[in-house]
Order: sequence, then C-alpha cells, then structure tokens
Amino acid sequence: MTDPVKHIYPIGGGKGGSGKSFVTGGLGILLAKQGYRTLLIDIDFGAANLHTILGIPHPDKSISDFISKKVRTLEETVVPTSVPELYFISSAMNKLDITSLAHEQKMKLLRHISKLPYEYILLDLGAGTSFNTIDFFMISNLGILVTTPEPTSIENIYRLIRSVYIRKIRQVLNIYNYRALADEAERRNKKATINNPEFLLHIMKELDPEKGENLEKALQEFHFKLILNQLRKQDNPNTGVLICKIIERHLSLKMHFLGSISFDDRVHNSICKKIPFLNLYPYTQTALDLRECCKNIQSVIKEKKSTFSDYR
Amino acid sequence: MIIFAYKEKKDPMKPIREQNHYELLELSPDASPLEINRAYKKAFELYQDGSMASYSFFSMEEREEIISCLEEAYLTLINPESRTEYDKKLIELGVLEKEQQYRDKVKEPISIYDFKKDHPVILGPNNRMEDLKKRALQNPLVQEILAQDILSGEDLRKIRTALGVTLEKIAELTNVRIGMLQAIEEDKFDLFLPMVYLKGFLKSYARCLQVDESIVINGYIKRFGIES
Repeated sequence: MTDPVKHIYPIGGGKGGSGKSFVTGGLGILLAKQGYRTLLIDIDFGAANLHTILGIPHPDKSISDFISKKVRTLEETVVPTSVPELYFISSAMNKLDITSLAHEQKMKLLRHISKLPYEYILLDLGAGTSFNTIDFFMISNLGILVTTPEPTSIENIYRLIRSVYIRKIRQVLNIYNYRALADEAERRNKKATINNPEFLLHIMKELDPEKGENLEKALQEFHFKLILNQLRKQDNPNTGVLICKIIERHLSLKMHFLGSISFDDRVHNSICKKIPFLNLYPYTQTALDLRECCKNIQSVIKEKKSTFSDYR
Repeated sequence: MIIFAYKEKKDPMKPIREQNHYELLELSPDASPLEINRAYKKAFELYQDGSMASYSFFSMEEREEIISCLEEAYLTLINPESRTEYDKKLIELGVLEKEQQYRDKVKEPISIYDFKKDHPVILGPNNRMEDLKKRALQNPLVQEILAQDILSGEDLRKIRTALGVTLEKIAELTNVRIGMLQAIEEDKFDLFLPMVYLKGFLKSYARCLQVDESIVINGYIKRFGIES
C-alpha cells in the first residue's frame, strides 16, 4: 500500500451527551463509504459508547489490550465493522483502572495512533477537560468540536478551547525556552499571566516582537472546526457561525464552521436498535446534514494539509 | 480587565479600548448610516447579556465593557455631527485619510435615452483631438492638399496617412463601415449611397481628421460631379 495522506481528527466537545460519538460514527461511515480507509478510535476510556453506535455490542478486542501489553501493536486491537473500509478500536470492556493513563502510556498511545496506516483516523474523545482529553485533542491541529445550541454545552466548548489554548501556550513557552520572556512580561504587568493569554501575548510582543509573533503563529496553526448538533426548529440556526466568530475575534485561533445537524427523535430509535443511524434512516434531514458536514471537512482538507504536533 | 480582539486575522490583536469606532463595529470608514445600524445590531446580538453564542465566554465586567464601547461607537457614528467631528480627530491622528470619509452620495437618476451613446462622432480625450488639429494645421502636405479646388479619394487618403489615423479608428469613431470608407478613398462611385449619406460620411471623416469639413465635402463632391 502506498503511504496515504493521513488525517487525524480528534472529535471532542466538553459536555457529555452533545453527540460526539454519534457524529464520529456518522462521519466514519460516510468517509468509509467513499472508499477511504477509515479508523475510529474510542478514547472515552471511562464511558465508552462508540461500539454501540456502530452496532458492535461486544467487540472482542479493545484498546486496553494494547495498554496492558497483552498485544504488541495497536494494529492488533483493530476490529472490522459492518461497513467495508471502516475499522474500529474499541474501549468497551476496558479494565476499570485505565481511566487515568500514566503520562508515558499516553505518549506511547499518541505516537502509535499517529503511525497507524489509515487515510482518516477519527478519535472519539470523552467529556470533560482532563489532561487526557486535552492531550488527545491536541494530537493534530484539526480538532472538531461538537456542541448543541444550549448554554451548558457552549459553556463547556469554550472551557475546552481555552484549556487547549493555554496548554498550547505552555508547550510553546517550554519548547522554545520562552519562559524567561513570559516571566519578564509578568514582572512588567502582574496581569500578564498564562491565565490571561491575550494580555500575555500582547506584552510579550511588546517586549520581543519576534518571539511574540512566533507564539501567535504557533497558535494560529490550529484549524479547529465546529459542528452544531441537535439543532431544533425553534433554535437560532446562526448560533454556530456566531460561536466561530467570537472565537476567531477574541482568540488567536482559527475556527471553521462545518454545519448544523438537525435534531431528530429517530436518533434515539437507531441507538436503541444498535443500528447506525445512517443505515436505518439514510434519507432524513439529519443524514443530509451529516453528509454536508463530511463534505465540508473534505473541502477544508484540500485547502490545508494536516500538520501534526510533536508527538511523532 | 482588558479585552482583546482582532479586527482582521492578519492584523495584530488590539485591546478593544484602543480600537477606533469603525474597527470595533467592523465597518469601513465610509460606511453608510444603514450599515452602521446593521453592524451595531449584529454586534449587540453577539455580545448582549442573554446571547447564547457568547455565553460564558466573557465575565460580567467584560461584557459590560464591550457593550458600553459598542454603544459609544454607535452613538458617535450614527449622529452626522458627532461623526464628522470624530472623523476629524481620526484624520488628525493619521488613522483615517480624508478621502475615506463617508460622503452622502445622492444618486442621480440614470437617463433612459442616452442619445450621445449612439453617435460617438468625436470621442476620446479632448486634448488628443486638439493635438490632431494642431498637427493638421502645421503639416505642409495636408495644407497643400486642402488648398486644392478638387479633392480625390487618393488625396483624402494622403491626408489621413500624413496624420497617422487608421481607417479602423475612423470606422470606430463614426460607426461608418470600413468598406464604405475604403470606397470613398478609392473613388468607387458606383458603391455610393445617395448624396445625403455621402455628405454625412465625409463630414464625419473630416471631423475625425480635424480638418475643415466644408473644404473636404465641397472638394470631393465637385470631383464626383465632374466624373459622373
């Protein structure tokens, strides 16, 4: 097999129940149906669901086999699905003690994921903003955020983005030895701390324009995407665009809106029946919306090739 | 608390207190009152207290500060007097060019029948025509030919080439077919239309060369009269 162009998409969203697994499953099926070798990985170690959405109630292998060194390579934990070209690494039936990975285990896992030979790799992340989630979210610059048009969900999105943002700044400060400059900035103005990133950036740029700009550039490397899930008729369809606007205007991040997905009661049916929604109801508005999002992801790719962080 | 915002992604981030009213509302300096109204409405929808999209993104104080900045910007720009004064300040600071200012352009009605369009006998910049006229007067060959009593097609062609005007140019300016102009220069009388048209063509031809119309018409017609 020739080395394909690889795209790794972590799919996160802070809040539980916003539809991360549903979106991951849907996008995975659509990509695989287009003939791309696609792999879905359930990273939600504590509350894995993706296998159920894909209609595999009892996967016989899981990621914990790799973490507990039962198998040597991550590739051995991959199971096929009912859709050709769609593969899956489950977290079901994990041993209960792996919810919090040790740092080295996490780094090893990240490295191995980056090396897997698939054209698309989608990571279904867990809720919350723990270090684990954030590190997996930063595996590539192409994170996809899923939110519903509800304040609770939007709140958590912003929380997640800010956490990623601050973590990235920390990383850059450490890698380039900018700590001294950051400390100097803080001496100048007490408010210029990492928790106040825009101000820190501003002061750093005043002190040392080149380094400040490097930091800004590193942050601009992120090309985050947003999907607004469960949009009901009475909701403002503009919400997604507005969220992206706020982030683009006030943070040094790039944020691209992929589309809204209509709310559909039948999603519940498909999950109860353990049949992928796209197979059960392929001609609904929700299915159409998913296809539109998938199309938008691919058109973004053509503009910007994926870049990976320093895990490789 | 200082709130930072990009005006555009390529520009550096600026604290919103330091952004001018146009930047804050994301407007160009020549925005019309209608656009200002719209921009303010849009921004208010985004930043107001109950806005879903910006929920939890700002603290209470930040939100209040943004809203007060937006209000100040809107109230200054929507009032023509305060806007002019504000623009003056920006111009003094060198942020704004005078030409970029908003001007109330009242649109004039567009005339439906534009007769001029159909008869562009002498178009082009005036000074070029003036120049042509001067050259025609100063060119001894042209003056010598024009002094003749009778003018042939060949004479006309000589004048034209002496002045460096192409047939295509004349055809373009007068809307007379090139074939017809050639027939005039080659004295092909049998191709001519009735006299009125011929006179008209000669008149246009002479104007394009900036030589005396009556001399050309009379001289040519005389010859036409003799030979026919």
